[in-house]
Amino acid sequence: MSVLEAKEVRKQYKMGEHLVNALDGVDFQVEKGEFVAIMGPSGSGKSTLLHLLGGLDGPTEGNIILAGQPLARLSERKATLVRRHNVGFVFQFFNLLPTLSAEENILLPVIIDGKDQRKYKERLNSLLELVGLTDRRHHKPDQLSGGEQQRVAIARALVTEPAILLADEPTGNLDSKTGTLIMELLNRSCNELDQTVIVVTHDAKAAAYADRVIFLRDGVIVEELKPPKSMPLAERLRGIMGTMEKLEA
Amino acid sequence: MRLTRLLTFRSIRSRSLRFLLSAFGIVLGVAGLLAIRSTNQAALGSISTLFQNTSGLAKLTVTSSAVDEAGFSEDILSSIQKLDKIKVIDPMVTIRTDLADKERSQELDIGLFGTSDGGLLLHGVVPALEQMTRNYKLVNGRFLSDDLKEREIVLVETYAEDEEIVVGDLIKIITPNGDKELKVVGLIARDGPGQTNNGSFGVIPIQAAQEMFNRSDNLDQIDIVPENSNPSTAELSALRVELQERIGKEYSVTYPSGQGERMTQMLQNYQIGLNFMSGIALFVGAFLIYNAFAMTVIERTREFGVLRTIGMSRSQVMGQVFIEASMLGVIGAGLGVVLGIFLARGLTRLMEVILNQQIDNVLVSSPDIMFSFLLGIGITFLAAGLPAIQAGRISPIEALRVRGKSKEGWIIRYGWIIGILLLGGSVFLLVLNPFPYDVQFRLGSITVFGLFTGATLLIPVTVGVWEIMVRPLMKWIYGASGSLGSRNVRRSRSRTTLTVAALMVGVAMVIMVRGMTESFSGDLKTWINAYLGGDIYVTSTVRLRNDVGNRIQSLDGVAAVTPIRYFNVDWKTPTGETETINFMAMDVTAYTQVTDFVFSGNTVDPQQAIENLKKGQTVFISSVLAEKYGLSLGNTVSLKSRGGYKDFLVVGIVVDFYNQGLVVQGDWETMRRYFNIRDASTFLVKVDEGQSVEQVQGVIDDLYGKRYHLNLISNETIRKSVVTLMDQAFSMFDVMALISIVVGSLGVINTLTMSVIERTQEIGMLRAIGTTRGQIIKMVLAEAALMGVIGGILGLGTGIVLARILFIGMTTMSGYQLTFVLPPEAIGISLVMALVISQIAAIPPAIRAARVRILEAVQYE
Ligand SMILES: Nc1ncnc2c1ncn2[C@@H]1O[C@H](COP(=O)(O)OP(=O)(O)OP(=O)(O)O)[C@@H](O)[C@H]1O
Ligand SMILES: [Mg+2]
Repeated sequence: MSVLEAKEVRKQYKMGEHLVNALDGVDFQVEKGEFVAIMGPSGSGKSTLLHLLGGLDGPTEGNIILAGQPLARLSERKATLVRRHNVGFVFQFFNLLPTLSAEENILLPVIIDGKDQRKYKERLNSLLELVGLTDRRHHKPDQLSGGEQQRVAIARALVTEPAILLADEPTGNLDSKTGTLIMELLNRSCNELDQTVIVVTHDAKAAAYADRVIFLRDGVIVEELKPPKSMPLAERLRGIMGTMEKLEA
Repeated sequence: MRLTRLLTFRSIRSRSLRFLLSAFGIVLGVAGLLAIRSTNQAALGSISTLFQNTSGLAKLTVTSSAVDEAGFSEDILSSIQKLDKIKVIDPMVTIRTDLADKERSQELDIGLFGTSDGGLLLHGVVPALEQMTRNYKLVNGRFLSDDLKEREIVLVETYAEDEEIVVGDLIKIITPNGDKELKVVGLIARDGPGQTNNGSFGVIPIQAAQEMFNRSDNLDQIDIVPENSNPSTAELSALRVELQERIGKEYSVTYPSGQGERMTQMLQNYQIGLNFMSGIALFVGAFLIYNAFAMTVIERTREFGVLRTIGMSRSQVMGQVFIEASMLGVIGAGLGVVLGIFLARGLTRLMEVILNQQIDNVLVSSPDIMFSFLLGIGITFLAAGLPAIQAGRISPIEALRVRGKSKEGWIIRYGWIIGILLLGGSVFLLVLNPFPYDVQFRLGSITVFGLFTGATLLIPVTVGVWEIMVRPLMKWIYGASGSLGSRNVRRSRSRTTLTVAALMVGVAMVIMVRGMTESFSGDLKTWINAYLGGDIYVTSTVRLRNDVGNRIQSLDGVAAVTPIRYFNVDWKTPTGETETINFMAMDVTAYTQVTDFVFSGNTVDPQQAIENLKKGQTVFISSVLAEKYGLSLGNTVSLKSRGGYKDFLVVGIVVDFYNQGLVVQGDWETMRRYFNIRDASTFLVKVDEGQSVEQVQGVIDDLYGKRYHLNLISNETIRKSVVTLMDQAFSMFDVMALISIVVGSLGVINTLTMSVIERTQEIGMLRAIGTTRGQIIKMVLAEAALMGVIGGILGLGTGIVLARILFIGMTTMSGYQLTFVLPPEAIGISLVMALVISQIAAIPPAIRAARVRILEAVQYE
């Protein structure tokens, strides 16, 4: 059963006189527990797609069905609630509230939802363990490194067990070693928690962790790689690099 | 440099609203300062010149030291003549009368100096001598001839105009021997001596006056012009002593200008208040500017950082802020001067009403203009200085930081030390009060500054504590977003501090003004009600014989009538000085039927005290005197009676603000026996139960109005006008308080808007992960509410202290002992007010926050 379904999704932006087709008919499905990477050159529509999938914006045409619920033409408030309950976001920047500790940041969606934080104690502990920040739980964001901050952001995105976790270049701001750590973490959440994850990235090495890689160009899907589970990382990476070269040519 | 200027203009244009708001602050400060300064000077000046002008070249004045107002014999003139060093000896009879056929007024002029019933004041003079003493500016006709018996008069031009009198007319005046005619031979300008009695004044030949008013060979006053027209203080004092010795103790020799002092002193109380307020106006102005510039610098941090990376020097960056400040200063101070000139006019009118005294020379002097203009610019620079230095410190790296934690200045980190020192210093000054008699209230203003600044500097280090204490409340009101918003106040402590301080000042002002008004009007109202007890107030422009009271008493519908007589009496203060105070005599029995004594505290059994007062040679003293000189029941006061100083037993302490509280009360018989006075100043009439006041008033007027030249006014009317007067006097303060509140809310808007702009990305993120718009709004509101709570509590504290300072200032100056009543609801009101203001002011930034576009926010880098 697919958790997420994009049907003929188009997105147009008006730039003064002329229209920009940021997405020009995108069609795909994501299964529960799948780890999908979206790649493509700058301006190809990756972020736009991710925003539509997360209900941050509505498509000009077509529809997106998230956990059985169509997102197109949802009211502002409904869309907010869908995001709150069904989507976890990890951005490149500005993920955390500087006034809250790591732990409180992780619980932020619970706090916003007005739920009893104590009920999430176990979940919190296991997430802290997952992201390896148990001993840092009381630190404020400015006392954490960039990688640690992103790990808090991932834990936050997972806390409500959303239908889908969306990450837009979560490693873009990190060195490659830390980036690898983050991708491994996302991979583990996928494998261990059966979490559905979609990651936008420029980085082929990051994309290599995914079960499936979707290539976008000028707002359309131009290629899809779905290497078998057993394929080693290095080989996957080679496949992705090859596809990238082929598309650039 | 052109770049700098260009950038500055751009910056101003893009923040035009804030620029205007902060200009508004300086406009207000400068205008307030200028207006208050000029009005003060005009009021003080016109009072002292009034006495100088009206006394002309006379340097000494001889009057009778008896209090019976019966004058003294002309014989004394010869013994004065034997003295050398004297150029002119100018004898005079003063007569209060009125035009016989004048419409009797139905209104009483009430001012802080007491009431005046209009009437016409006449000086009977020797024209030749009088003209050597005073400079009469004739505008029409001629001055009095040298025939001292001629029935002629010279009037003040404005009075003649009002009464439609022209030169050549015959006018009728009231005398004890019926109405008498005088020929108007000339008009003088309302200037110099023409200002006497607010212009309701005329001069007539001395013998004519003595004849008409049964005062033959009798004088009220002799003015002395010394040979040396400009004597030194020592010379004058020597002459005074010599003169006093020669003529003996029955006469007193005084300096005419001394008369102005009492009025001046009364005025000072009000001035303390105004000076205090103008100090605060400036503080508020400076504050707004600092606030605005600090915000601008925060906003432009990136821009400044970029400019620094491309090679702009620190001083160039600081220069930009200063250029902006100087433009603001010039525009603000300029507009402030213009506004101040208008404000001075308005304030002068208000003062005239309050003082019931015409104030001339509403001229705003150019040194004053320069002073306030430069002060405005100076304060702008001072207030912009700190932000400018901050701007200079911005490092190039800050431009590159995506969300750098802004460094906190040393003021935020160590300011509390200065804060504690300032607070300590202010308290120290307060307790010590080294210069209690400072009209300008300089020290008081310094303590105000010290207090506000000190409290402000303590805010940054305590924000955390406040926040933790209040967070549960915010959570309770606003839910989860409440606790998120609450935490936000800790983020930019400097900004929070500014806003809290703005609210604090606003609340403090309200507390102070309310407390002051409440304390004043509480006491004042009880007193006014007793003072204007009964139903009808009867006065006359001529002396009232006591039997008029008996006649009124016998009328149908009249329940009781009490005569009241005020007169000045010298007393020996417990500190050994001689001071003139007021004696209020009443028929105690009748008085208690008409109205009540207002005893101060519960020290006496009222019934017993009243009985004691009837016994004679006893007095009630005002609470003001009791406080000022530490007098209590059983003490005696030494009053100068007709047989010299006599001790009067204090049998009661009453609330009485007449004559600024320098008053004692005594029985009618005591007055007759010891002071030889028999006539009344006023009658208070109480009508029978169920009788219409209007009707009884009509009956009295019909029967005796014309005959005794009575003015009848219902006490209701007077009470109303007194209340109006009080409200007018206090309205200035209310306006200042209102302005502070407006400033406080501007501060809130400013801060929160800045916070929202700075946190755009964060708000976007919150929205992305499922925070609703409503929750975002609540978050901003909670942040504001927290600042409101802190500002409210601090404002309450500083407000109470400030009110005390003001009270202490006023008490030491005047002896008014006001019990500071902080209306209990004021505490609640001030907190609620701070909260409400903060919430209303937070609405625009909250809406702005709710409108943050998620996509733009999260994509921003
Ligand atoms: N708000 C907008 N208004 C107008 N055009 C937009 C807007 N947002 C995106 N676009 C355009 O839509 C296209 C796709 O943008 P998008 O941000 O999705 O690209 P991207 O693949 O995420 O690029 P990058 O790798 O640089 O992040 C671009 O041509 C961009 O200019
Ligand atoms: Mg993108």
